[in-house]
Amino acid sequence: MIEKRTADVIIIGGGIMGCSTAYRLAKLGLDVIVLEKKEIGNGGSCRNAGGVRQSARDPKELQLAMYAVANIWPTLSEELGVNVEYHQKGNIRLGLTEKDVKILENHTAKSTKVGLDVKMISGDEAREICPYMSDEIIAASWCPTDGHANPLKTTLGFYKRALDLGVTFISGVEVLGIKKIKGEARIVETDDGDYEGGQILLCAGYDSRRIANTVGIDAPVERQVNEVLVTEAMPHMFDIMLGVAGGEFYGHQSEHGSFVLGGNSGLQAFTSNTDHFMTNSLTAPCISRGIMKYFPCLKNVKVVRTWAGYYDQCIDVLPIIDNIKEVPGLTVAFGFSGHGFGISPAVSIALSELMTTGKSTTIDISQLGYDRFKSKG
Amino acid sequence: MAKIIRTAHTEPFVEKPDDDMIICRCEEITKGEIRRAVYDGMSTMNEVKRYLRSGMGLCQGQTCQRLVQNIIAAEMKMKPTEVGMIQGRSPVRPVEIGIFSNNKTDVKEE
Amino acid sequence: MKRHELIVIGAGPAGLSAAIEAKKSGMDVIVFDENSRPGGQLFKQIHKFFGSKEHHAKERGFKIGESLLAEAEELGVKVELNATVMGIYENKEVTVKMNGEVDHFKADKIIIATGAAENMIPFKGWNIPGVIGAGAAQAMMNLQGVKPGSKILMVGSGNVGLVVSFQLLQAGCEVAAVIDAAPRVGGYGVHAAKVARTGVPFYLSHTVIEAKGTDHVSGAVIAEVDSHFQPIPGTEKELDVDTICIAVGLSPMSQLASNAKCDMALIPQKGGNVALLSEYGETNIKGIYCAGDVAGIEEASSAMIQGRSVASHVCYSLGYITEEEFNTKYDSYQEALGKLRMGMFAPANKGRNDFTVTDEGYPISKNLLAKGYMTEEELENFPAYNYKKAGVHPIIECTQNIPCNPCQDACPKKCIKVGENITMLPQIDEEQGCIGCGLCVASCSGQAIFLMDETSDPDGVLISFPYEFLPLPEVGDKGTALSRSGAPVCEAVITDVKKTKVMDKTAVVTMRVPHEFKNSARFYKPV
Repeated sequence: MIEKRTADVIIIGGGIMGCSTAYRLAKLGLDVIVLEKKEIGNGGSCRNAGGVRQSARDPKELQLAMYAVANIWPTLSEELGVNVEYHQKGNIRLGLTEKDVKILENHTAKSTKVGLDVKMISGDEAREICPYMSDEIIAASWCPTDGHANPLKTTLGFYKRALDLGVTFISGVEVLGIKKIKGEARIVETDDGDYEGGQILLCAGYDSRRIANTVGIDAPVERQVNEVLVTEAMPHMFDIMLGVAGGEFYGHQSEHGSFVLGGNSGLQAFTSNTDHFMTNSLTAPCISRGIMKYFPCLKNVKVVRTWAGYYDQCIDVLPIIDNIKEVPGLTVAFGFSGHGFGISPAVSIALSELMTTGKSTTIDISQLGYDRFKSKG
Repeated sequence: MAKIIRTAHTEPFVEKPDDDMIICRCEEITKGEIRRAVYDGMSTMNEVKRYLRSGMGLCQGQTCQRLVQNIIAAEMKMKPTEVGMIQGRSPVRPVEIGIFSNNKTDVKEE
Repeated sequence: MKRHELIVIGAGPAGLSAAIEAKKSGMDVIVFDENSRPGGQLFKQIHKFFGSKEHHAKERGFKIGESLLAEAEELGVKVELNATVMGIYENKEVTVKMNGEVDHFKADKIIIATGAAENMIPFKGWNIPGVIGAGAAQAMMNLQGVKPGSKILMVGSGNVGLVVSFQLLQAGCEVAAVIDAAPRVGGYGVHAAKVARTGVPFYLSHTVIEAKGTDHVSGAVIAEVDSHFQPIPGTEKELDVDTICIAVGLSPMSQLASNAKCDMALIPQKGGNVALLSEYGETNIKGIYCAGDVAGIEEASSAMIQGRSVASHVCYSLGYITEEEFNTKYDSYQEALGKLRMGMFAPANKGRNDFTVTDEGYPISKNLLAKGYMTEEELENFPAYNYKKAGVHPIIECTQNIPCNPCQDACPKKCIKVGENITMLPQIDEEQGCIGCGLCVASCSGQAIFLMDETSDPDGVLISFPYEFLPLPEVGDKGTALSRSGAPVCEAVITDVKKTKVMDKTAVVTMRVPHEFKNSARFYKPV
């Protein structure tokens, strides 16, 4: 068998952006190769708490979230043939102090302004939605159309469907750079030789910056470690997505029964950053203290593991989704800053349109361009 | 990880008589589910774990890891040494959230 | 942050030995163990260990545990019990769950000595209560004083399976069979022989295919396997058992090394996923070491030496001993390990089944490997069996090169010789006269030495054999002499029962049998 090295599109990165866009492009009849350095979904795609959330998003990316929630998530399990465990039972963001309430009110005002159904509710109303919460909670913001899904199943579900549609995935191959041929991005150089595509999609999380640099493109994206703790399976308690104004933790109870709760230590921007998803000794205790403030009833629930993942944190906490004008043939999608999972099914629609028609028409992503970063005046 | 080229199977999935045997006891994952996951494209310990939850239970795969490695290797026609292993994660023994939260090391004074 | 120069994780044989070695040099060391008592698996080992005299051979495992503990205590080694190490982080920080909270410690060096866990094999019904690990069964009997069941199937003929089978018999359980998918007994032949002579059948090339029962095991279906370990249809056999013990090997409990992000690999010869180690036991993360079973499955005797060897490197790298002192220590530990690692059961030979002769050139018994006991014809090949003289004399049925030599020191007349290389078979020095004291019989951890006296008693032959069952027979008792396979051969009369302190609970019982049964009668069953 001759090894496949050319395709209409070479996608760099086998995360959820790469898998879902491969799926959409294959559906449009394109021949696609996805290159992955480690394993499918190894980065942020399988390392997030599964939020499918519109509330508290920047209006510049809110359209992606609203489109995904309205049009894709509700039927995604059927579409992929894999149960992605999507539950649309609302997102509640809790407050304990007056300061918290101000933060929540601020988010709520911003979201309502762009047409999202979010409102402030009292502590008692919050406890009516979820009776397991502490009596100390004085207020909350409530977005009934938010939800959560299983990021592992979703990523691997997109991967499986893409495979079914004829996409070739090659893992264990590290991309060294992109090479231009006659002015266009065509060759992906790897430690396993060259791969050639009519177009190249770069969606490799925080590695994207290094790879984009090889064709002279840079973006203010840094990686930042965040962690999640997972508990033993508990009887079903609630389906809502949780967040707190103070940012101590976020997460949900999974279909399996375990609680998947993420957070950080406050030191994450400056903790020593090894290259291998190392957890920090302070973070899980920190998340646990957060949980105890809001859900003291979870005191005796056992944590069975913790893990770390990297945000590809962009300077304005928004993703870069664009065709690179200076490098024709190169499209990028990275810098999702820790909230890419929920919008990924919509991002892949935008990307497939960008790559086939030159413009994302279904969803407005005009404010997520790669050339939006300016110095101070 | 070694290079793995993944494409869809052209031949249908074939069931085996012992497919209903439980392999991961913590999460009650059967041999058939693992074989099916490999057929669906999951090619490493981690991918099967993420797809099925095998090895995600209380024992962190201490009991089933070798068994799952062998099944994946057999299905992939690879050696068990080539399909990867489960990452050991803290806490290596389950610990209550309440006890975790009792950690007072380096907590900022409010 | 609390800080120690050395943190040892695990107070088993490797961890305690490492801590002792480090503490002796003057180092500040702390040991954490998640259990409520130290000693690891040593305290459930009620059998006599193999090895050399200098390294605790013929001592029972729990006694070795006690002396290790006493040594640690005397030196003032701090051992925190009920202290579960939860994770290893950057900069050699560990988190420990103890006293209801999570405590943090840092160290200059960490030795991971977390041991191993039992392997399982899946079969229909393997998750029904009553299917248990052999190690778990051993803990129930020897630590909690609970019988794991009354009728047991032992799956696995490695040393764990054989030793635990014997202990199940001692506890009063019936062992319905020892089975193994391999075509040969995996453990020491002497361990197999002492189980076989009680009448337990061995089924090699057999596997368990089903545990019957719903809420508890009510039977086991076994079947013969082909050369690819696949059950052969039509060979199924149902055994009436209430417990299935699984003894199919151990896997290193290496999650902490993995959690610390040490470079790991699946190395089948080491028993599973292990950290990649330097010759001194150090991982790729400088200052993090592994010792004992977590570094690769071996015996407790090796683990203790390994613990000391690894700790000596820690002592050297923290400046507590000179390079010269380190080299001397390291070399002596490696030499001791080398001795234990020789012979056909050496770790390097794991999985090999092509040995046909011993190091001395004697043909290895096929029957021993296939059925757990030797035939008389096969024994004829071994001089220590064939040694015949008037009056009392030993006959030694030790026919494999295993690392063990207590018999050579047991004889006050120096009648038995093993030599420098402890895996060589014992030889009998014909110049020295046997006085029939029975110390060699009691000292043999494999219970493979017997005394025979064909001339002193006009009514028959006197055969002395090791006996570790209660109640002990009494002089004058009549019973049945059993063959090496446990089959009844003739009537036997007990003529002597020796039980002294130095024999350490292995009684030496003498029975009289008719002359024609002198080469077949090897055990005794009371009527």
